[in-house]
Amino acid sequence: MSSTGKIVSIHSFRGGTGKSNTTANLAAQVALAGKRVGVVDTDIQSPGIHVLFGLDESKMGKTMNDFLHDKATIREIGLPIHELVGGAEGLSKLKNAHIWLFPSSIKGRDISQILKEGIDFNKLNEGLQTTITEFDLDYLFIDTHPGLNEETLLSIATSDILIIILRPDNQDLQGTSVTVDIARSLDVPNLLLMVNKALPKYDPVEIKKGIEEQFGAPVAGVLPLSFDIADNASSDLFSLRYPDHPWSQELRKVARAVLSLE
Amino acid sequence: MTTDVELIEQLKNIAIFSGLSDEALAAIAQHASKRKVAAGDVLMRKGDPGDSLFLIHEGWLKIVTVDSKGDELILNKCGPGEAIGEMALLDRGPRSAGAVALEDGEVLELSRATFENILDHRPDVALGIIRKYSTRLRFATTYIERAIDWAQKIAEGDYSFIDQSQSLVNAAGDDDSKAAQLLSAFFTMVRKVKEREDTLKRQLEKLTFEIDQTRRKQEFEEITSTEFYSNLKEQAKTLRLKRVQK
Ligand SMILES: Nc1ncnc2c1ncn2[C@@H]1O[C@H](COP(=O)(O)OP(=O)(O)OP(=O)(O)O)[C@@H](O)[C@H]1O
Ligand SMILES: [Mg+2]
Repeated sequence: MSSTGKIVSIHSFRGGTGKSNTTANLAAQVALAGKRVGVVDTDIQSPGIHVLFGLDESKMGKTMNDFLHDKATIREIGLPIHELVGGAEGLSKLKNAHIWLFPSSIKGRDISQILKEGIDFNKLNEGLQTTITEFDLDYLFIDTHPGLNEETLLSIATSDILIIILRPDNQDLQGTSVTVDIARSLDVPNLLLMVNKALPKYDPVEIKKGIEEQFGAPVAGVLPLSFDIADNASSDLFSLRYPDHPWSQELRKVARAVLSLE
Repeated sequence: MTTDVELIEQLKNIAIFSGLSDEALAAIAQHASKRKVAAGDVLMRKGDPGDSLFLIHEGWLKIVTVDSKGDELILNKCGPGEAIGEMALLDRGPRSAGAVALEDGEVLELSRATFENILDHRPDVALGIIRKYSTRLRFATTYIERAIDWAQKIAEGDYSFIDQSQSLVNAAGDDDSKAAQLLSAFFTMVRKVKEREDTLKRQLEKLTFEIDQTRRKQEFEEITSTEFYSNLKEQAKTLRLKRVQK
């Protein structure tokens, strides 16, 4: 078994930029393109991506926390989303895809324990590699906690593709600049930027150009701020449910950029 | 009608007479002639040389001009107590609009000949009118100077005068001269322009991306100087090498 699958980390300097939302939608789009996809929630402090896949606590058994404490194997953790999706209009499109979720524990005790002990890089890495080989994945998406803490540094260090999400303002730009430098210092092979929550009155072409000039890295998509997304927030994937929406169209551009990287 | 208090009050409302004493106004009233008008009567035609002032006593008039198609266009309607054509007493310019009676009524007409005759005998009336004009001109000049000053400041992007000028504009609001109206309209315009400029600036600020490079370097060094980071970097390097070999 050789692990050719790619690890794609989604990161942002500040919270609430749309990481979880983007990760779930990107993973789904890549799965719809015929790839075998895994999604790991390493936002151990505030996990939440399972909700976007229509899963609640009752469906979650073993978690990544159990694996990190040698209490579970990766096999036991993976939840086959394509088998679990219910009648939600968007999510049900995943029925013929291959996509698994590897959730984090949302139990307070597990969370505080892992935060106290810290995560071992080799253990995490071994876990991610095992995930890829066990499930024969083409892509493993990692949703992270915002900011540059130890967990996020770990996920950046291990990724083949790093997607940094930022909002088009100076505060996000400042934080992103440090993340970009870290990614380069850790020799991350592929760096993609993605702008989310862009006010529609600005020219997306100008935003893309301005940010690419600042960082010398490609902006794979400029996704508009839209209240439609916040309205849809509960238990369905926006880009699957509203494929013609400008946000979804721009998100598919990012998915294509990921698929095009060797 | 010589001592008609109401008439004197009405004359006082005419801008050029507003500085005159009651006694002077009574003298003017004495020389004005009462005239009956019937509905449809034309008192003034646009473009005609003006030679008298009318003070409406009874009934309503319409002030008219012609539009580009030659059709009548009503600019205004005037009723009892209002005067029209006052400028004709002082200059010989053509009527700027026509006036037609809307109904039967009565007006008081003061012709320029009569008026000049009064002035010949009453230098105090002439002086009163000149003083009044002089004051109005002084105010107008102040307002216009202010407007010029503001225009220059706006050109330089300096809007600081807005906060200091509100009271002046409020005072001008009590003055019904055209110069005061201009200043007040000008002021409103400047505030609106500034508002729009502020909104525009906000948008532009967001689009000019700036990074504080010193802070960027500092934060980078803070993170990378830890033992955790150097270990991580080593481990990541080994890992990548392993992956390439596979
Ligand atoms: N383009 C958008 N327009 C409007 N709302 C959006 C957009 N993208 C995401 N949101 C909303 O913003 C909120 C935060 O999104 P999300 O949870 O995906 O962000 P996050 O980066 O994962 O947050 P955290 O840092 O807390 O993990 C959600 O309510 C989501 O619906
Ligand atoms: Mg999140």
